[in-house]
Amino acid sequence: MRDLSLLVQMGFGALLALSVYLPLRCGQLSLATPGFYAIGGYVAALLSTRWPALSGGGASYPLTSLALELLLAALVAGAVALVLGRPVLQLRGIYLAIATIALVEILRVLNLNMAWSGGAVGIFGIPQPFDGPAGYALATGVLLALTCWLCSRLEAMRLGRAMSAIREDELAARCMGIPTADVKLIAFVLSAVIAALTGVLAAHFLNTWNARQGSFDASITTLAFVVFGGSRIWLGPVLGGLVITALPELLRPVGDLRLILFGLVILVGPILFPQGVITPEGLARIRAAVRRA
Amino acid sequence: MPAPLLELEAVTCRFGGLLALDQVSLQVEQGEIFGLIGPNGAGKTTLFNLISGVGRPTAGLIRWSGEAIGGLPPDRINRLGIARTFQNLRLFARLSALENVLIGLYQRGHSPLLGALIGGRSFRRHQVELRQQALQLLELVDLSAVAQQPAGSLPYGSQRRLEIARALATGPRLLLLDEPAAGMNPIEKEELSALILGLRARSELTVLVIEHHVPLMMRLCDRLAVLNFGRRLALGTPELVRHDPAVIEAYLGVSS
Repeated sequence: MRDLSLLVQMGFGALLALSVYLPLRCGQLSLATPGFYAIGGYVAALLSTRWPALSGGGASYPLTSLALELLLAALVAGAVALVLGRPVLQLRGIYLAIATIALVEILRVLNLNMAWSGGAVGIFGIPQPFDGPAGYALATGVLLALTCWLCSRLEAMRLGRAMSAIREDELAARCMGIPTADVKLIAFVLSAVIAALTGVLAAHFLNTWNARQGSFDASITTLAFVVFGGSRIWLGPVLGGLVITALPELLRPVGDLRLILFGLVILVGPILFPQGVITPEGLARIRAAVRRA
Repeated sequence: MPAPLLELEAVTCRFGGLLALDQVSLQVEQGEIFGLIGPNGAGKTTLFNLISGVGRPTAGLIRWSGEAIGGLPPDRINRLGIARTFQNLRLFARLSALENVLIGLYQRGHSPLLGALIGGRSFRRHQVELRQQALQLLELVDLSAVAQQPAGSLPYGSQRRLEIARALATGPRLLLLDEPAAGMNPIEKEELSALILGLRARSELTVLVIEHHVPLMMRLCDRLAVLNFGRRLALGTPELVRHDPAVIEAYLGVSS
């Protein structure tokens, strides 16, 4: 049981890492992911606890209601990203990072103080659509697989090429006729939607939701996933999210030493692999080696 | 009489206290190879930046087939049919030569979203066509052998030619070349000149070129404008410009 729960959390880690990866895929360092994750969680928590019609009559929460939550969370987060993205994405580099951290903080403070979000206590007793972690593992696995598939398709599409161009040289990309503002906005909205969908699953899985779910700490953790795994191809963030989420649990046998080891991995990773553990060149080398063998 | 393809009317550009361009007017006709020469800091690249939308004129008008385009963003300008290269090479360095050209083909790369997502047959066929177009453009600039190599790893002269291929991929009617021969050896310069003439002959391309190599420009260009300290010093055929006393004094130096 514990192992399956860890698997679910690892899946959340990988999804949030992909949410950070998409804007980074076109060179935009956005740390807004936990903010949209929080929005998704609140949509799920509020709908499932305050709207009795959604709960149905049965023992477990209906999957159709879960699907409705996912849809609404995607719409809300997507709409917020669409409205905020235009002005925010005009900022570059570290300024964009700071603005998105501010966004996460504003949402956190709002959620902490508003009555409808349950204040500091948050929202409790979020109903369970699945009997145990197996159902969550399956749902998370499906969402992760779909997101990976979308990211891998991007590589073959002109949208993916445009994103690469913007990452390499935004001005040159504009001079090649690429509507860079639109492309960056699409990446930002996709990033928000993935984070919000993850938030919906997480709210049910954790059974409770509060303002601490979307914090500055979470921004840094999700960024660490991508820094560790690599940001140039989608496999990197997936690996980073899985490994770094699992590491504290896997290191539990070594006791208090685990926090030091965890810190060392985060520190040494970028020194040994400045571009992340997974790079397109590295993958090509592995592929060539496999073919030779 | 139809409007000239590109028309600059008293274009001025000021950066704080620096007057980079001072009331520059010129007209470029369809099918022309038009040269811009002048000492460093004369405002040539600034002029390119204004035409391509990278900068915005302080005053004056830029017209494209009669319509004002000054101040439009660079992606809009490119879609109107104006493509450029960069003096300081702005290739997508970590991407392959082929990918660089494929990015130039962005406008022609549109395919229905659903087909692209599931990778359907018509999507794949379209991608194959795009690759073929990109390879043809690489062939044109003699780079098909290095199609898969990262653009940043290519020799300097090859990078210059790759920039031209990438700009051509956007399907321009006007090509702005900013010092395309810089860093090239004499043989490469000759090939470049033949390439530019060939492009004009084949696709009715109009070319506006900045270059320091004066003998090359004299042979290549139909007309030349000479800039100095942001002002247009002379304008006319190479023969006319060569014998203009103001030009000889300011730029060409010793009289011939």
